[in-house]
Amino acid sequence: MKISRRKMIQATAAAVSLPALAKALSPSPKPLFFTPAEFALVDEMSDMIIPTDQQSAGARAAGVAAFIDARLAESFEKDQPERWRAGIKAVEALSREMHGKTFMASTPEQRLALLTRIAAAESDPKSDAEKFFGVIKSGTIRAYYTSKIGIHDDQQYKGNVIQPGEYAGFDAT
Amino acid sequence: MLTAFRNIKEEKMTLIRFRASPEQDVDLSRTYDAVVVGSGAAGGMAAHVLTSQGMKVLLLEAGKKIPIEQELRSMQWPYDHPRRGDAPPGYHAIRFNEYNIRKPPYAKGSAFKHVFSYVGGWGGSDYVKNILVDEKDNPYTGTKYAWVRARLLGGKTNIWGRLALRLSDYDFKGKTHDGYGEDWPISYADLEPYYDKVDLYLGISGHKENLPHLPDSLFQRPNKLTAPEVKLRKSLATMGRTLTPYRAGVTTDGVKNKYRSKCFGRGACGRRPGGCDIHAAFDSPTGLIYPAMDTGNLTLRTNSTAHEVLVDPNTGKARGVSFVDSQNHRTYEAKAKVVILAASTLESARLLLLSKSRQHPNCIGNSSGHVGHNFCEHVMGPGVTGLVKEMVGAPPTLDDGKPGGFYVPRFRNLQDKQPGFVRGYGFEGSSGFGLFPDSAWGTPGFGGQFKKSVREHAGAFISMGAFGEVLARYENYVDIDPEVKDAWGIPALRFHYEFSDNEKKMCEDMANAGKEMFEAAGIEVVGVDKNILTEGWSIHELGTARMGNDPKTSVLNQFQQSHDVKNLFVVDGSSHVSASCQNPTWTIMALAWRSCEHLADEFKRGNL
Repeated sequence: MKISRRKMIQATAAAVSLPALAKALSPSPKPLFFTPAEFALVDEMSDMIIPTDQQSAGARAAGVAAFIDARLAESFEKDQPERWRAGIKAVEALSREMHGKTFMASTPEQRLALLTRIAAAESDPKSDAEKFFGVIKSGTIRAYYTSKIGIHDDQQYKGNVIQPGEYAGFDAT
Repeated sequence: MLTAFRNIKEEKMTLIRFRASPEQDVDLSRTYDAVVVGSGAAGGMAAHVLTSQGMKVLLLEAGKKIPIEQELRSMQWPYDHPRRGDAPPGYHAIRFNEYNIRKPPYAKGSAFKHVFSYVGGWGGSDYVKNILVDEKDNPYTGTKYAWVRARLLGGKTNIWGRLALRLSDYDFKGKTHDGYGEDWPISYADLEPYYDKVDLYLGISGHKENLPHLPDSLFQRPNKLTAPEVKLRKSLATMGRTLTPYRAGVTTDGVKNKYRSKCFGRGACGRRPGGCDIHAAFDSPTGLIYPAMDTGNLTLRTNSTAHEVLVDPNTGKARGVSFVDSQNHRTYEAKAKVVILAASTLESARLLLLSKSRQHPNCIGNSSGHVGHNFCEHVMGPGVTGLVKEMVGAPPTLDDGKPGGFYVPRFRNLQDKQPGFVRGYGFEGSSGFGLFPDSAWGTPGFGGQFKKSVREHAGAFISMGAFGEVLARYENYVDIDPEVKDAWGIPALRFHYEFSDNEKKMCEDMANAGKEMFEAAGIEVVGVDKNILTEGWSIHELGTARMGNDPKTSVLNQFQQSHDVKNLFVVDGSSHVSASCQNPTWTIMALAWRSCEHLADEFKRGNL
């Protein structure tokens, strides 16, 4: 017997009662922590890190920037949001240095050139912009692969279902 | 009351029945046959056995009773949680580095509103924030130690890892085998009937292997393996070693218990700290305590933190316990003919050490001077991760719909003799597709190539980590801090504990042996972890009031009865003589069953 995902969500929904909180943290058109310009950069860069491909939609469709924004807005540790803000500043400075304009005002090719440059030092980042690549990449991974799109469309995760009969897998023979 | 699941066709998913809170009308004027301190695996078992023998039992639990199903939310998708499983702002789980750089009490001076042990950061702290103790209220001092405590009805059984293993005479008669430490005052034959009782009453899943050093249980149907695990199992067999499906303290075929469902292989147990909201995994409340309450012989009082075993000034025997109500901070006395401690290895030791009287100036039950000593556990950290090349690009399969992956039992110092260390270790491992593709963290780059690589590799990894026996040594001990107190004014526990050279040498061998086993199976080793995790990490602390035949060198006899005070019993892990390398919960319960049967007989004969 197969239980559809929708049914499973309905079944579990009974156990969850945080509607007010969920509403407060749901993606909203106006960012909660980022400025609109910062939000646009995070949204674009996250979607470059995990883009749409033949299998599944990317980070933008999965609402990665909105999740990061909501978490930073309520962060108890102030160094977290500061790190993001400083990193974005460093990226903008590098963008002006490389292309004479902001990241979002750059062409897609120019944005790719910048991202490629800061990603090249991934294993040993030195500058603030290079360090920001690690920050936004891990934030994107965390948010994307816990999203509906990441779990179901991209990973096509088969678990978290009820197996009323035989368990899946192989016998220890 | 709320139930988390609807009934699915003919299969009944959940049979949870909540009881009204009973503690308001607990009668403290009467003298109970027995008072049991602690409601985890040991205390729950004591309550079950004694009430089934007709004894009137008062069960005291320091923590609260919470609607656990609402905490665990086992099948909640990450995206249906506002913080994808994280606790609200201001909640903090202690990190590995904090344990090692700082000294306890770890929450001292912390700006966070609530501080939890590392388990609070393991796969979603929002699900355990009401289960783990707040370190701010519950300080301890001394040497570094990751002390994980769960104060609520059922204790740590609400979130335990569920690996349910038997010990063998390689453990009970370890000294006879290799000359180290002390033998237990019992052998496997003494305990086997009680392991059987625990298996049948609570349910256990596993596959028979006929190993002398890891005796089989009376198993219900086992969980399955993944293709990489079958491959490793076959390869290990040629080395004379075994990979067996995780032996889980989980009922896969069901048990006769209206509070529990059988396991439906939903698999959330693998990605969060333990808990099972349909109670297929054993937990003390549904497995032991609620059925015991149905006998009419059990009285439960939660929010009751025992801090002293009370002594009859004329006889020197125990007459009850003194406890603080954690809500109103008032102190009460519970009177009983027999006192049974089951507060956990370290809390029971603390309680004994706090119980000083004119009759017992060196603390109750401590004429040997061994209370708090011979403290041992399991050392962990070293492990290995491998890539199974033929699985790269394989279509996703359901690999995590089970309570655990696999177990590789001990293979060291059985027939062989290792030059660097005595005793041994086993590996716990897992493989295949999970809810979250962990390999994404280590996949370099970005963009379409990155995304494709994460997808293709998501199910291709296998990993395992070792749990090794820490030798019981007199020099490893706990005592009472002369100054620091908890939020209720009870003096804190102080640690004097560190790993010895034997553990360090064993850990080197773990990493090497793990690597060799993967390589022999044709699995590409992509990571070898050699770091030893902080003392306490295994959450398997044992041995602070060990059993023995000699009252001069042990605290308890073979029935977990105090040598000094015959109506005082300590039925939890503190009684263990050595740690073995097998996880202790099933042994804790088998021992408690055996001792409490003896206790009830003695009680009926008027010998206590």
